[in-house]
Amino acid sequence: MADVTTTLSRPEEDRARIIRPSTRLRNIELGLLLVALAVSAGAIVLVQLGALGRIDLNVVKLAGGVGVLAIALHVVLRFAARDADPFILPIAIAVNGLGIAEIYRIDLSPTGVRNHLDNGTTQILWTAVGIGAAIAVLFLVRNHRMLQRYTYIAMLATIVLLLLPLVPGLRLRGAAAYVWVSVGPFNFQPGEIAKITLAIFFAGFLVARRDSLAMVGRKVLFVQLPRARDLGPIIVVWVLALGVIVGEHDLGTGLLLFGMFVAMLYVATGRTSWIVLGLVLAAAGAYAAVHILSYVQGRITNWLHAFDGTLYDQPGGSFQVVNGVFGLAHGGLFGTGLGQGRPDLTPAANSDFIIASLGEELGLVGVFAVLCLYLLFVSRGFRIGYSGPDDFGKLLAVGISFVFALQVFIVVGGVMRVIPETGLTTPFLAAGGSSLVANWMIAALLLRISDTIRSGPRTVI
Amino acid sequence: MSALTLLVLRIAFLLLLWVFVFAVVYSLRSDLFGGRVRRVPEGAAPAAPAPASAPPAVQSLPSPPTPGAGAARVQQGPASVLVITSGGKAGLEIPLGTEPLMIGRASDAGLQIRDDYTSTHHARLLLWGSDWVVQDLDSTNGTFVDGVRIDSPTQVPVGVPVKVGATTFELRG
Repeated sequence: MADVTTTLSRPEEDRARIIRPSTRLRNIELGLLLVALAVSAGAIVLVQLGALGRIDLNVVKLAGGVGVLAIALHVVLRFAARDADPFILPIAIAVNGLGIAEIYRIDLSPTGVRNHLDNGTTQILWTAVGIGAAIAVLFLVRNHRMLQRYTYIAMLATIVLLLLPLVPGLRLRGAAAYVWVSVGPFNFQPGEIAKITLAIFFAGFLVARRDSLAMVGRKVLFVQLPRARDLGPIIVVWVLALGVIVGEHDLGTGLLLFGMFVAMLYVATGRTSWIVLGLVLAAAGAYAAVHILSYVQGRITNWLHAFDGTLYDQPGGSFQVVNGVFGLAHGGLFGTGLGQGRPDLTPAANSDFIIASLGEELGLVGVFAVLCLYLLFVSRGFRIGYSGPDDFGKLLAVGISFVFALQVFIVVGGVMRVIPETGLTTPFLAAGGSSLVANWMIAALLLRISDTIRSGPRTVI
Repeated sequence: MSALTLLVLRIAFLLLLWVFVFAVVYSLRSDLFGGRVRRVPEGAAPAAPAPASAPPAVQSLPSPPTPGAGAARVQQGPASVLVITSGGKAGLEIPLGTEPLMIGRASDAGLQIRDDYTSTHHARLLLWGSDWVVQDLDSTNGTFVDGVRIDSPTQVPVGVPVKVGATTFELRG
């Protein structure tokens, strides 16, 4: 028996030396990463050529630091997560690089010099922090299943994070929505991080409770309705989301949290009735919000009657949305070219409206490329969730990918007037540290889950 | 910097952006279409000239595999799915690649079976040439191929039940 084992193991080792699938994945990643870095560097150089007419090497060097960090993350993956998905990192770097270039471009514009100087540098520094956070997540979370232990701590963390902006001493003064926390020189949006902790809580909670949520209930008109007492969780999340909308004037985050919960409920139970119920609750909430909250009403009016002349000139009117649409129209199919448009005419051109700025300078062709990258990122997330053997990992991957997708839809749809405008950040693109760090953490979690799935047990009986 | 150069650079940048998108999609294709590259003509070719005997790769085994019930069956390439036929998760299908599959109670096992009758590292399925072979890793309660406890690596033809602990599975094409 013993010598059979030894003779058997030799050809297997030979094959292991030849095939090595794990290194293959990392090599794909390296190749794509180099192209992504070329995209980012090309964007920054083109911005300088377009706006300044010369190349300013200082900024290129600074941005090169981000490239070095990206390579560092790649090397970390080679050691810490060899079987991780090879597409997440290059896509994130490409979109992040495009964002840096466009934010820097707004800094260079005539109004930018006065209004928002040096946001580009800040964004580069935050990108470094974000990649650092991703590396930290990869080292701290060696297996995503350990997060399941912290289900209820994650819930507590979410509530604290969502309530932080309401604490009197911490709130940032002068902002329309109470989503900022200001500590010394740093401003932070805790809601961004709350997305992740909430996804961890939902995943853990639904894994434990989904049987009663999926099986029990009675059938009314083709739809199996859940029991009244199983409605508790969805009502609680609904109230939480409404609380964010009412208390913090943050329509976007409220929608995001509730949408994520409904999507994860559906994935966990496979029951359409939860989606129907979620949509009914969301419609009821929206109806109430429109009639009670004046700022929500304003957003809806700006959306429906955007091109009304008086509304356009009103303070808080549709000036911003319409200007964004004008910018997109000015860009046309191929755009004005980086550094050659006037995206700075739109307020918040480098944060909420960055997709309009990119659309003006890269055109429809460029915006579609960016949307394709988002689509690929989200599809990777769903794929990772789909192939996972454990339910917690499945739900977590699907939850954080869905919230990413929903955020892109809400913000891009708002800018393009598909839906009313809500103040959310475009993932990886928009200026804003908290959003960048949160999205890099999402990327790191997806990398970690995909690595555990490929290298860990495939099936548990 | 002339306007023409800028125009060319601008278009080149959009092209680069799309090259990146398509490079990602191109690398993704194996994922989109699955591990469908089974090399059907190649797998069929060695099976055709020697239909009754075991394929050449298995003949090089130090101890020849005990002939199971379906050992002489002509196969179109290696089996691609493992189906649990009895036990806790009967009906579950596990796709097989080309990698060896560890079966046992350990958390590093590819097929983790958590019952009292399974050893930590109970058995291993390996692709040997174009055939799957099961090897018992000195388990306490043994591995049974078609009801016979095995003591040497044994070929697992398609459709023959393999019992590990309280779980039975078989391979399908």
